[in-house]
Amino acid sequence: MTGKLKTLFDNKQMIILDGAMGTMLQQNGLKMGELPEKLNLDRPEWLIDIHKQYIAAGSDIIYTNTFGANRLKLKRCGYTVEETVRAAVKNARAAAEDTGTLVALDIGPIGQMLEPTGTLSFEEAYDIIREQVVAGSEADLIVFETMSDLYELKAGVLAAKENSDLPIICTLTFESNLRTFTGTSISSSALTLESLGIDAIGVNCSLGPKELYPIVEEMSKWTNLPLVVKPNAGLPDPVTNEYDCSPEEFTELMKAFIPLGVKFLGGCCGTAPEYIRQVSEMSAGALYQPQHNDIPAAVCCATNTVVIDQPRIIGERINPTGKKRFKEALLAGDIDYILSQAIEQTDAGADILDVNVGLPSIDEKAMMIRAVKELQGVVDVPLQIDSTIPEVLEAALRIYNGKPIVNSVNGEEKSLNTVLPLVKKYGASVVGLTLDENGIPKKAEERFAIAQRILDRALVIDIRKEDVYIDCLTLTASAEQENVYETVKAVEMVKTRLGLRTVLGVSNISFGLPNRELVNCNFLQMALTKGLDLPIMNPNIGSMTGAVRAYKLLMNIDVNSVDFISHYSGQEDKPKPAAGEKVTMDLPSAVASGLKAECRSITKELLKTTEPMEIVNTMLIPALDKAGAEFEKGKLFLPQLIQTASASQVCFEVIKEHILATGEKTVSKGKIILATVKGDIHDIGKNIVKVLLENYGYDVLDLGRDVDCQLVVDEAIKNEVPLVGLSALMTTTLGSMETTVKLLKEQYPECKIMVGGAVVTPDYAEQIGADYYANDAKESVDIARRVFGN
Amino acid sequence: MEKRKININKAEVIRFLGYREKRPGKDVMSIIDECENALQEVMMPAFTFRILGLRHKYEGIDVMGTDLTLEGNDIARHLSGCDRCALMAATVSVGADRLIKSYEAQDMTKALVADAVASAAVEALCDDAVTEISNRTRSFLTWRYSPGYGDLSLDIQPVLLDILNAQRQVGITLGENNIMIPRKSVTAIIGLSNRSLDLGRQSCEKSCKNCRMRYKCAYSEY
Repeated sequence: MTGKLKTLFDNKQMIILDGAMGTMLQQNGLKMGELPEKLNLDRPEWLIDIHKQYIAAGSDIIYTNTFGANRLKLKRCGYTVEETVRAAVKNARAAAEDTGTLVALDIGPIGQMLEPTGTLSFEEAYDIIREQVVAGSEADLIVFETMSDLYELKAGVLAAKENSDLPIICTLTFESNLRTFTGTSISSSALTLESLGIDAIGVNCSLGPKELYPIVEEMSKWTNLPLVVKPNAGLPDPVTNEYDCSPEEFTELMKAFIPLGVKFLGGCCGTAPEYIRQVSEMSAGALYQPQHNDIPAAVCCATNTVVIDQPRIIGERINPTGKKRFKEALLAGDIDYILSQAIEQTDAGADILDVNVGLPSIDEKAMMIRAVKELQGVVDVPLQIDSTIPEVLEAALRIYNGKPIVNSVNGEEKSLNTVLPLVKKYGASVVGLTLDENGIPKKAEERFAIAQRILDRALVIDIRKEDVYIDCLTLTASAEQENVYETVKAVEMVKTRLGLRTVLGVSNISFGLPNRELVNCNFLQMALTKGLDLPIMNPNIGSMTGAVRAYKLLMNIDVNSVDFISHYSGQEDKPKPAAGEKVTMDLPSAVASGLKAECRSITKELLKTTEPMEIVNTMLIPALDKAGAEFEKGKLFLPQLIQTASASQVCFEVIKEHILATGEKTVSKGKIILATVKGDIHDIGKNIVKVLLENYGYDVLDLGRDVDCQLVVDEAIKNEVPLVGLSALMTTTLGSMETTVKLLKEQYPECKIMVGGAVVTPDYAEQIGADYYANDAKESVDIARRVFGN
Repeated sequence: MEKRKININKAEVIRFLGYREKRPGKDVMSIIDECENALQEVMMPAFTFRILGLRHKYEGIDVMGTDLTLEGNDIARHLSGCDRCALMAATVSVGADRLIKSYEAQDMTKALVADAVASAAVEALCDDAVTEISNRTRSFLTWRYSPGYGDLSLDIQPVLLDILNAQRQVGITLGENNIMIPRKSVTAIIGLSNRSLDLGRQSCEKSCKNCRMRYKCAYSEY
């Protein structure tokens, strides 16, 4: 930061921004629904005039008219990003000439939702914003405003930082429930963005100054950056489109923000130069009041912040080490299995999930990116990125939505030099392992010394102390019993002397011993009492999670035992099956009733005496057939059919595990590819088809939704599948279905194609050259049976 | 602006799930309840509307003060006799999309049911919007007509959403193929008139009898 801007940032004066642009342009004659950005070239005089009015009113910084000047929105008007943005900066500069007013490159939301909820990829979002940043290089600073998706904002901040040296201001729009429409919370945005190294943060739009007060108040608790407030002129009337807050009221309410650490004041929708003039006058005598809050140690995803002010459980199950089924899922690219592991752990009580997808035979980087993207779409907890390869860590840190933990750095020079800069750049927290070139030291004091070294090195590059968590390393009691207590001692030393958070993988302690759960549980309790904050453990084991909950109760952290009671009250009343009690139900009726737990236990029991294939053919498939037939007759409805299929899926999962353990032949009846076509994101129908097909013993390679047409062909050829199923729900995406069918027929004519989805008709299927039309999930099974002859 | 609670019509949920005369059993009903509770927790329902004048011309209907011209026979029929319209957008927010996606990874039945509940929720939200439009304008209203119905092109979606400032106001975004995200979102055009409209032809009620898909649709009452 240099020149006037630096002076503005550094001194105690308030900085006045401008007011609304859109409504001013509409007063000049812009029609609603027209792109305001094209006026930069068509009507430069309008813009220069509006900018001048704000400068005359007292604005220190004016925003360029480039809110929607991205390549997607500009498509509608034919101008390029470069010419539009350059013209906009030029107009602002012309207005600001000789006044010393600074020009901010304004960047609003792209207008499309990012994956996985939407279809725009993080990488594409980055590139779209990069183009805007580069075109606006002549501005004095960059402002992201009206942002509601933290993920998009992260792409933007990275694009700005990597393609320009200009200072960055971010303002988001929160609703009165203290969240943005995408669910982003105030704490998550403040923690994530400050860690990414922006220069000021705040809010704009959505509400008036009165309604924004609690939002800014909350934000000031999570950051010490200068705050920015650009409210609407109150709330709009939908009928008259007028805002209800006069310049006088607006200015009076704006005064209240100053003690919260607000340095930048301006206006958004409905405000005009008169608002800015009065705010400017009001704040002329006021001084910026920097905040010095203790920002807690915390990590977050976009929707949920986990403060490390008490023991928090890190789930360890997303890791292939020692797990055959997990390895198989990684090899098959079975992301659903990984997601189910994640949800099981969060349901059991994990606060954070460790993600390790390292397997020698797979592309770990690609898998890590995919896993993180998918996981953050379905779970509401922060992630801990776990890899030994810096390149994998960086790839995951880039696309992570929030503030994650890096697992890990250690005391080796090489590790410190490569990992810590990544932690700093992407604003993460980091686990520091107390080992170095010489291995794991035996004594607590030596491990403490490494912890100290890691901390010092982190501080040198400006990583906050609160973001360094030390792992004093668990050794197995069966091999090094005499050193178990050294670990516990080191935890205490790091906690009390360095004041750092501590983390510890708990489960290794019992390796090679009987009754591991008992040993783990006791070790966990020992460590907790000595100051362990972040146990990495299996949360699905009730006694382990229970130990953490009980610890919090006994330490008066769980005040009034609220959390404990909510988890355990009433549990004793539930009837437990007596030990050794025989399950009397047979498998087909358990499947038909959708009873998953029973299905699991009966299948396990059956596998002791029955061949897997026999279970599938004589019990599961007949049960599904019966349900399918009743569904066709209208006696059974879709929810029940799916319940039956889901129950049968549990049986399949048990059988799969059994096969992996015994090395028996698979039960696959053939491989089928399913995809929801390019451009379409409505995939629930395809997923229902998938469940049903899998339960008839078919291997389904699910390519997901919004799948590139050629990718379907490539995967079909690569996997030699005899049948591909395509779905589309929107009339606008039927074209993609047609293209995919055409490409398949050209390049892989022996493959059969079935199509379905709300807008697809038998006639249309025939017209585009598909082999089969499936009216519902049940019919897709009939088609598969015909194609595979089974 | 308190968080809006939606009164979801259970009968509609049940219809969306494919049930006709028959009612679901207790187990499915309890899944519906569970999904509804979970959805109410994560949804941020919101709607917005604008009242704008109409100019009927041979080539189409201009929505005054905007860049939008409505073309096609069906929208002309829909808005005949109306001098104003309400453009509206409503959404139950991406919270619903996320919950459904998360259910898909653990229990497909719940995903299916939650999808139906969210569909019913956005319909109920639209009904709330219409009630407010009616109260505020004290006019006679047609029913809700959406881009993509009949011969009204879906291509007007970007302009319609821009007029409503829908991303800022309610958080609706539009993908490349004019697909709205959040998925459970609706845009619609409602005709307004000071004189009573011919209700036989265009009732203000949303009903299967007004829909030309009534003999083809899986959810139709016909």
